[in-house]
Amino acid sequence: MGDLKDIATIARWEVKKSFSVMGRNVLPLAIVLFVLLVLVTGFTTQSGLHLQDGMYEVGVNDPALAGLIAGDPRFSVYQISAASPDWRGNSFDLIVINGEVFYRGTEKSKSALKTLERNYGKYVNSVYNAEEDLFAAYPLWIDVQPQKSELDFLATQSGQSITAAPGRQAPVPEGPVAEIPTPSPTLAFTRDELRQELTKTSSANPQISRYTEILTTDNAMGNFKTPSQMSPPLPFDSIILIFVFIFPLYFTSQFFMMSIMNERIERKGEILLSMPVKTGSIILGKMLPYFLGMLAICTGLTVWIGAPFIILLPLVPVIFFFLANALIIGMLSRSFKELSFISIFFSTVATSYLFFPSIFANVHVISFISPLTLIVLSLQGTAWTATDYLYSTSLFWLTSAVIFFVAARNFKEERLFSEKNLVTRMREFLSEVLSRKRPFLSLFLLTGFSIPFIFMVQMMCLVLFFNLPMPYSLVLLLLFAALIEEIAKGIGIYTIYARDAAFFTWKNVVYACAATAIGFLVGEKLLLFVTLAQITESVFGSILFLSLGVLWMPLLLHFAGVLIVTACLKLGGRGWFAPGLALAMVVHCLYNLYFILGWLS
Amino acid sequence: MKARHLSIIARKEFRGLFSERTILLAILLQLFIALFSSFLMVGLTSMYDPSSLSKYSRFRYNVAYAGNDSPVLDYLTTSRDFRVYPMNLSDGVAALKERKLSAVIWVPDTPPDAQEPVKITLYTLQNDLQSAIVDVKLKDIFLKYETGLREIRAGRLHDEPVPLAIPKAQGGGDFYEFVYGLLIPLLVFMPAIIASALVIDLLTEEYQHETLETLISTPVTFTEIVWGKVLACELMVPVQACAWILLLMINGIAIENAVLILVQVSVTSFILVLLGTLTALHYRERTAAQFIFSTALVIVMLLGLALPDNPFNLLTRLAIGTAGMEQWFVLGGTSLIILILGCATHLYADRIGKSRHSG
Repeated sequence: MGDLKDIATIARWEVKKSFSVMGRNVLPLAIVLFVLLVLVTGFTTQSGLHLQDGMYEVGVNDPALAGLIAGDPRFSVYQISAASPDWRGNSFDLIVINGEVFYRGTEKSKSALKTLERNYGKYVNSVYNAEEDLFAAYPLWIDVQPQKSELDFLATQSGQSITAAPGRQAPVPEGPVAEIPTPSPTLAFTRDELRQELTKTSSANPQISRYTEILTTDNAMGNFKTPSQMSPPLPFDSIILIFVFIFPLYFTSQFFMMSIMNERIERKGEILLSMPVKTGSIILGKMLPYFLGMLAICTGLTVWIGAPFIILLPLVPVIFFFLANALIIGMLSRSFKELSFISIFFSTVATSYLFFPSIFANVHVISFISPLTLIVLSLQGTAWTATDYLYSTSLFWLTSAVIFFVAARNFKEERLFSEKNLVTRMREFLSEVLSRKRPFLSLFLLTGFSIPFIFMVQMMCLVLFFNLPMPYSLVLLLLFAALIEEIAKGIGIYTIYARDAAFFTWKNVVYACAATAIGFLVGEKLLLFVTLAQITESVFGSILFLSLGVLWMPLLLHFAGVLIVTACLKLGGRGWFAPGLALAMVVHCLYNLYFILGWLS
Repeated sequence: MKARHLSIIARKEFRGLFSERTILLAILLQLFIALFSSFLMVGLTSMYDPSSLSKYSRFRYNVAYAGNDSPVLDYLTTSRDFRVYPMNLSDGVAALKERKLSAVIWVPDTPPDAQEPVKITLYTLQNDLQSAIVDVKLKDIFLKYETGLREIRAGRLHDEPVPLAIPKAQGGGDFYEFVYGLLIPLLVFMPAIIASALVIDLLTEEYQHETLETLISTPVTFTEIVWGKVLACELMVPVQACAWILLLMINGIAIENAVLILVQVSVTSFILVLLGTLTALHYRERTAAQFIFSTALVIVMLLGLALPDNPFNLLTRLAIGTAGMEQWFVLGGTSLIILILGCATHLYADRIGKSRHSG
């Protein structure tokens, strides 16, 4: 009870303080700026974004077509009188003569051609939409029925192709055949509903929808469309909406970051620290107003766009993640410059982690590593399960919890007001978490809890290397995965070594390495078990969890890796940490290569 | 104002940046974004134009055809992307779920010239990268069928669109617009945003850490301190933008008029840096200054984008070589704004400096 009261008191102070700083000077100008923002947004939607004006040059000999093409400001249209296409002495990307389009072989020219094709398609649609007999203009409709495959999770992940057919014979299903009712040949929508939808999709603001239409056509009829509306299901509009959510969250967490930083300037926070209150309560109290603020913003936005309230669920761990990182960044950085750079860096990395997987929301299961995918699905009206939620948010919950814990342990005078450089401070922060009395238990726990971070970084690498050609992507992924794991295992040992080099007698080296290796393995398997539980329901689950039976092999590998690093540290001193890591990485890679090559052959 | 004093202050700031090694983070950030954008390009291209990946173009996909005969069956059999099996619908869908097929198509017995439209039912795999590719390939076949049906029903149409024959381009050109019309202006302009945020940090830091008194007690005046910091931040812009351009070129993206792009970016970013300076001088406290400045930044950028021939658009046009005389008018306009803002900054800094000396 007492703790709750403390938290409430500190939260009240925080609100009062930030208002006294922000209030008098900032609020009037902020209101003026907000009004200006609304006005400018209105103006911009009216006039459109003029970012790509005049990109392409087209020569046309027919004035009617010239007017049609010039309707898009991306084209600069020139009247020509030639009877055949002539590319000399001009920089035209396209030449249109008597209704026939000619193009050059350049990328730019092809891009212009594609843009023209899209524009013309839209023009044709606008003519057909006005047709009285809609089904003469649109005689074909496709009803897409997505089917869930039992095997899809790992099959796509390991890059397996759909099985090639056995020669000329039709494939025969092995499992039971469920009776599929014959689809009805009549449409489920009336003519007017369809016409309305067609008009809506073609009349969207061209200056804005230009960025989205390359990738998708939004359709309220769901899976029911004309052939020209068939494109991979990319929810681009919903994804843009995500930025509407993430940007204010990032903004508000900046205030929290700054409030922490301000406590550290000129030792202003000493009063707060001298209070008879637990550090946990101080941090929670300072954080509470920002958390509530962020939640309020999200709720407001949800109401504004008329989305279901369930999208707040995946946002909560994201809010915690932002706050946890704001806290630790505010505690770590020495100067405003450092604060700016680290926070920009963090926000870019975090936004990419959140944003890029969600592009594949309807296409690939990997998209579920981002909680935003759940939001995209909710906005589309697709349901997701509790397992999906666990899978995509567990890393966020875990990492935020670990960061909060580390921050709480370090929220005291000698850490907050020290002027050492960033790396030293990070080491000191970790050192605080590693107990002197039970170093092996601490190492075990530290390594175990580093697993969510490792997973996040490795997922990031996976997404990054995804685009490289096949052998390189695999090699790079192997190298980086090994390096990241070895670094994570080595950090705890290095911290203890830097604190007390004499601690590492050979006996303690073995114990420390064993504790680290076991911690890593336990953490890894636990997290795999929790997050990938949905695989266990499929055929592949049995194969994956078979490997739990042969635990000693990876244990030996982790032990060997960390032993190499520790031995290098003990024999060569701190300068040998990096070479030790490199060596351990090589060993790790060789082990992985052996197994993967074994599978390949 | 003495040039020597300016350079002393600027060098002090550079030393600070390098000793903190935060500049490394900025460079890392650039690399990171470059990597991600290339991921975005290649990843998306392969999804939406599967023929760009030879691996997929050689592959023939198995599809089942169920229901009544139609030209679709002929199109599928003659297509080089598919291998068609006439099957019963239930068997086909079961085989699809076992991933032995990529799609099942069911065609009704609606006559081509009926009042009602033809409604084809298409069964595909959910959450599958390959089914997205199959969709794209099937789309071509359905479009062909649609054209055929439309010709049969042409007598019932009133208006015909102005005809325009557009040839099918041989691959490529997909993300040209994305790269030149969005990525390049965005990336090249990012250093300007970083620089303007930095100038606020540098100025408010002196106030909040109360180090300003020490600086003022030296022969350097307050106005010189301000201009030195502005100079340090402004100098970073062309260097970083140049790094971007080089990175993009290494990635195989040809950029024309690199020098003119650097000139445009430097001049436009000067506006932002001066705006940042004025905000910082007014508030002398980071939270408020950064908040007001970033809101103002959004407004200025939105307004800029809404105007034709804006500096961002010029970056695009310079990079692809279609910028004409208008670039010099824009340059003149931005320079005029800089002159006004520069005078304002100078006068404001002078006033603050004087009040400090007297007080």
